[in-house]
Amino acid sequence: MNSTDLATSTTKKRKLRDSALLLPLFGAFLLVSPLVTMFTGTVSILGLPLIYVYIFGVWLGLVILARFLARRLDKG
Amino acid sequence: MLTLNTLIIASLGYAVLLFTIAFWAERRAQAGRIGWLRSPFVYTLSISVYCTGWTFYGAVGSAARNGFEFVTIYLGPTLVFIGWWWLLRKLLRVGRAQRITSIADLISSRYGKSTTLAVLVTLLAVIGSTPYIALQLQSITLSFSVFNSGSSAELTAFWVAAGLAAFTILFGTRNVDANERHHGVVTAIAIEAIVKLLALLSVGIFVVWGIGGGPAEIFAKAPPEMLRGENIFSARWVTLTMLSAMAILTLPRMFQVIVVENAEERHLATASWAFPGYLLLMSLFVLPIAIAGNAMLPEGSNPDLYVLSLPLSQGQNNLALIAFLGGFSSATSMVIVAAIALSTMVSNHIIMPLWLRFANVTTQTSGDVRTILLRSRRLSIAAILGLGYLYFRLTGGSGALASIGLIAFAGSAQIIPSLLGGLFWRGATRTGALFGLVAGFAIWAYTLFLPSFEGSFILSESLIEIGPFGIDFLKPEALFGLGGYDPLVHSLFWSMTFNIVLFIFGSLFSTPRPLERIQSSQFVDVFRLDKSTGSYLVSRSATSEDLFTLAQRILGTDPAQRLFTEMAQQQGKPRGLPDATDNLVQTLERELAGSVGAASAHAMVSQIAGGGTVSVDELMKIADETAQILEYSQQLENQSHRLENTAQELRAANAQLTEMGAQKDAFLSQVSHELRTPMTSIRSFSEILRDTDNLAQDDAKRFLGIIQEESERLTRLLDEILDLSHLESGRGQMEIESISLQEAIQKSLSATGALIEGAGVKVEMQLPESPIMVQANFDRLVQVFINLISNAVKYGRGEDPILDIEIGLSRGMAEVSLIDNGPGIAPVDRKKVFEKFTRLSEANLAGSAGLGLPISREIMRNLDGDLNLIHSRNGAIFVVTVPLAHA
Repeated sequence: MNSTDLATSTTKKRKLRDSALLLPLFGAFLLVSPLVTMFTGTVSILGLPLIYVYIFGVWLGLVILARFLARRLDKG
Repeated sequence: MLTLNTLIIASLGYAVLLFTIAFWAERRAQAGRIGWLRSPFVYTLSISVYCTGWTFYGAVGSAARNGFEFVTIYLGPTLVFIGWWWLLRKLLRVGRAQRITSIADLISSRYGKSTTLAVLVTLLAVIGSTPYIALQLQSITLSFSVFNSGSSAELTAFWVAAGLAAFTILFGTRNVDANERHHGVVTAIAIEAIVKLLALLSVGIFVVWGIGGGPAEIFAKAPPEMLRGENIFSARWVTLTMLSAMAILTLPRMFQVIVVENAEERHLATASWAFPGYLLLMSLFVLPIAIAGNAMLPEGSNPDLYVLSLPLSQGQNNLALIAFLGGFSSATSMVIVAAIALSTMVSNHIIMPLWLRFANVTTQTSGDVRTILLRSRRLSIAAILGLGYLYFRLTGGSGALASIGLIAFAGSAQIIPSLLGGLFWRGATRTGALFGLVAGFAIWAYTLFLPSFEGSFILSESLIEIGPFGIDFLKPEALFGLGGYDPLVHSLFWSMTFNIVLFIFGSLFSTPRPLERIQSSQFVDVFRLDKSTGSYLVSRSATSEDLFTLAQRILGTDPAQRLFTEMAQQQGKPRGLPDATDNLVQTLERELAGSVGAASAHAMVSQIAGGGTVSVDELMKIADETAQILEYSQQLENQSHRLENTAQELRAANAQLTEMGAQKDAFLSQVSHELRTPMTSIRSFSEILRDTDNLAQDDAKRFLGIIQEESERLTRLLDEILDLSHLESGRGQMEIESISLQEAIQKSLSATGALIEGAGVKVEMQLPESPIMVQANFDRLVQVFINLISNAVKYGRGEDPILDIEIGLSRGMAEVSLIDNGPGIAPVDRKKVFEKFTRLSEANLAGSAGLGLPISREIMRNLDGDLNLIHSRNGAIFVVTVPLAHA
């Protein structure tokens, strides 16, 4: 491995770690902030209330992102 | 309708199944076939012990009352787990490095292995968990009552508690090392996790698609306020999310499964997304079930039991049975793990220290500590379950499930400031942690825990209503006049405020003890330290026999033997006990900590090893040693610096010597060359004289003349060399007297008069009339002038050769300049003219023996004067400097 590769992989690793730190903050912003109230309208999607779709959608998104990060962090 | 007997048979059968699985897993682990028993998924499933009976039944109840709010209890842990890299990973690493056995052990270990803190956290954990265990018993008895209202709640609760105690004692106290995995328990809990998830999903699917007619129809039945307003985002929403995030870290049972039972740190990476995923599935159908229950069940049904009563109302007995087993799983798994975690804490932090102090025996002479440890743990389990049962009997199963759970959450969350501070803040101290914890728990108890009894325990109803002694300001549910908030939000705000503030200020205004300092860096810098740097130097006086006896009594004979053999091999001893080094003492203390907790292990080892604690003096000594090493290395650096300088000087001297050697070589070769020329002609002419018989008289005379001339030249040359070497070595003693400079110049001019006239050189002079007296040797000075004048005449010829002689005075010296108007001396040659035998670029000084100028310069220097060549555009200017005579 030459030095350029090393530098790239170090930068990549740091970005991964930064993302792992930011993910819970991002999740908190989406789920534990007044942002949530924006989705309490009477709109429904496929018969499901918007808020239900929003909360579980964000939740599922966080699980998928966490899986993506965990797999990469675990390898490094 | 299901009969009570069916239920009892089903739950007993399920219990037998769990016992069998646990037994099988334990056997498998003992045989070394661990395999999937310690896979990341089993780990993840064991963490789901977070979802208790409260979750299984209570979440639907909460949703039926407060809509979407129930979800916050799962969002908090989700955020903590997806942020595993930041916090949980560190917690796990510390737990592993320090062989932490419980949350109380962690706090105690971090703050200098403090027994006080360990006891405090243990007591608080027991106080906080007892209602929680009672809550599980309540959820089981409630679920029984749904099927058969005639069953005795007390009796059910008693048998459930007894059965759970038996299971926990059987599988939770097999090893004395609390740090070892309880494979049987963990496997059983993983199975229970699957059962409860499948049960809840089955009920959910049945409700939505079986009787509800699809999600759209279900949600159409939802009252509009359920998914809006206060139920979505409010102070309570934020508080509950934060609270659950804190609780997942500090609840004794969560700490047990996440940190203590963790087999490999890597498993956390999987759990980081799989556990949030599990929580997502668990809560997916909560809202539809709650809506359907509200809409379909008769008025007055208990929302906490919708999960059971909905299938029952539709005659789905089998589904109801599955749901019942799901709830049973949730409740039992929580109680089992909580009992293990609490019994470890109670036996390690309360019974062991008491026994150590009051048993009036030393660890060396006492009986088998293992037996005492195991017995105390088993007794603790029984006592904790008994306490839970007692609580259940006393409160009579009052209050909604969710509110009791939240009270326990808020209690355990008080550990958070000390925990996070301990992991990330080096300056956190024992005093700070003690202040913060005591204040936090006191306010929690006063504002939330005690009022929850509604006047039946310690705080009277009137006190809760109007404040102590009627002081409005101190009302438990509106402390310091802060009213109008939800009791949970209110309590958490005040308890956390006082907790954090006292923790921070207590830490800032107290000095940590040496052991605290060491532990603080062990915790905060856990990723920066490797395993070997964990030890600290302490002089201890322990024999390895004593240590071995201690290890045997606590770890058991075989593990102790194994540990000591391993240590001996590490020390390079093929047989016998290892030496009682610091490393051995450290390792042993850490091993023992895995069984009895950090504080007790420290106390035991100290008892044997004598003194064991690090004193300030010893720390100073360590610091001194470090300082000495630093100083020494600085000295070395200085020395090497000096050596470097010397080497440089030597290199310069060597270069000079080499140059001088080369000069000498050149000098010798020049001398031999100069001597060779006259010698050759003398030899050849004398040969002619000898070998030629009829040589004409004239020729013979001419030849003899040449021979004589050459001999004279040779003599002169030798004289000059001799002269030079005398002058250079400073041995040429010259008599110095006051002489007239003009006189010396006149003398030299008259001596070279013939030469000057022959070359047609015009001499110009402006000499002062009064004689200038200088300190010199007359003859030598004349010699220098003659040399310079003849050089100027010989080589300085221009078109109209002129030799200008001037005298100047400066700073006690007389300066005589001899200026010719010849071609001058090329800049490259200027330095060389004073070197011996130098031949300047052909024309200038060709044929010269080249000793004249070097000799002159040596003479002048011996006379404390000098001879220099001055740069000029045309012609050469030689300046003779000679000291003036003192007037």
